[in-house]
Amino acid sequence: MMNKMITAVIFVSSALSIQVSASVPDTSPKELQQTVPAAAQVCLSCHGAQGQGIDLAGPKLAGLSSAYMMQQIKLFQSGSRQNPLMQPMSMTVQGDNIKVVADYFASQSVDKIDLHYRGDKVVIADPAEKIAYQGDWSRDLPACFSCHGPSGVGAEQFPRLAGQQASYLKTQLEAWQSGTRKGDADNMMGNVASKLTAAEIDQLAQYFASLK
Amino acid sequence: MKFQAKNILGVAALIGFNLTAIADELPDRQQALPSVAKQAEHLYIESAALADIPAGEFGDKVRLGYQLFVNTQQLRDKHVGNELNCVNCHLNAGNKANASPLWGAYFAYPAYRKKNDKVNSFEERLQGCFTYSMNGKAPESGSKELVALSAYSYWLGMSGLMLQHNVAGPVPELSDSELVKGAKRDDFILPEAISSKMDQNALAQLPGRGYPAVPKAEQAYSPERGAKVYQAHCQSCHGKDGQGQMIADVAALPPLWGPQSYNWGAGMHRVGTAADFIYENMPLGKSVQLTPQQAWDVSAYINSQERPQDPRFKGQVTDTQKQYHQHDGYYGKTISGKVLGSASSANFPKK
Repeated sequence: MMNKMITAVIFVSSALSIQVSASVPDTSPKELQQTVPAAAQVCLSCHGAQGQGIDLAGPKLAGLSSAYMMQQIKLFQSGSRQNPLMQPMSMTVQGDNIKVVADYFASQSVDKIDLHYRGDKVVIADPAEKIAYQGDWSRDLPACFSCHGPSGVGAEQFPRLAGQQASYLKTQLEAWQSGTRKGDADNMMGNVASKLTAAEIDQLAQYFASLK
Repeated sequence: MKFQAKNILGVAALIGFNLTAIADELPDRQQALPSVAKQAEHLYIESAALADIPAGEFGDKVRLGYQLFVNTQQLRDKHVGNELNCVNCHLNAGNKANASPLWGAYFAYPAYRKKNDKVNSFEERLQGCFTYSMNGKAPESGSKELVALSAYSYWLGMSGLMLQHNVAGPVPELSDSELVKGAKRDDFILPEAISSKMDQNALAQLPGRGYPAVPKAEQAYSPERGAKVYQAHCQSCHGKDGQGQMIADVAALPPLWGPQSYNWGAGMHRVGTAADFIYENMPLGKSVQLTPQQAWDVSAYINSQERPQDPRFKGQVTDTQKQYHQHDGYYGKTISGKVLGSASSANFPKK
């Protein structure tokens, strides 16, 4: 089992090594070794040296809280979050290193965005923006922003949605729906996701990705 | 006589008297928020879409009412003294059946309230929300804010009734002075298609009004058991310390106790009222259903914590308790060796 995981890790690291250099053109690998904690080195090939994310390889981590990322690493390890890459990768980070890695990415800056609050707009034409700010209570669907905050910037255990990759947001909403992602209190997010249509998931993913 | 008394109070408010000061002199038995039996969903009125609010001055008031309702923090330090927004307790922007919808309240006022022993207009009821639930200072009678919140409430209710009874055309526009009164009055004009089917009392008891009563629990409520319910089902959103979650400087998840929450005079501090709300509406989106026992216990846990002082407090907790708290609340009671109300935070503190 462990051997299989290590093989997977090596495979993933080498397969994506080309993207590392492409994503951080201004920083040499040597400098990275000095500025990024050793435990976090394994994350860079998919998530980028500043946790900026590499589309299709790994989501943006900058802008997420340390508490949230620590929890997610543990959920991958326990299998509550299922992902063929992240389950073995998460096993490589253990003990105190979980916090070291989470703190490193949580400390990376994100661009400031214009914040929009509930009520700024009364009539919202865009269907995703409408769900985000007003929900759809005819099917007991709360507004995204009632937990993820203004413009979906998130805090603590509520992840930032603004500026996240559309592909990642989509696969996550689908994972909540199918039950391959779990681990929040009372399955709140699974319950919310289960009420969304496939078209709404696409629209929401695009909408939040565009908030940057 | 009643009419005269009302006028005198109205004038007093206009010339700058604090309505709370007047209420101080009156007996208060803190009548619980009325709840009606839960009925089949198809009976609930459904308001028109926000996009149907008409252009023009009247529509602008309705829109402002909506905006104040979902982002009440616009009034922080002016009329609001905590981190709450109206929408925290009145879900779906005051438009959700069984979550104290505005449309239910609008058609039930003017109404006599034990809380201040007089007939309250709708705007006086709204003023109570600012004084107690928002731990603030109520906008004056006839103010832009109270007119807007009244207009929004009226529009939700009237558009819903018109849709339910197939009445075509726009919602009739009312003047500011009519709007703030509420709809339970003889001179309130209703389309015939509605008034022929529903009398004033039926309109004052619209299905979905208030919070439906939580079933009785087997055991007496217990804050100790409630603490465990809180940890299991509430704290992931409302925080270990009940202080909610600030995001981008707003309490996305509202504080449930402490200086930033509702005060000891708010209806929600009553164990029964909060249990009703929780059982029906929490957790948000209802991924799980709490048992009645859990709802009672967790309400007792939340409401046996310290919060802002009752605005009617005059220096002695025992006096305030005797006069205003002969009900299912924890004000004046001793929990963990401390008398609740004795270390309450300030009313209407500035941010």
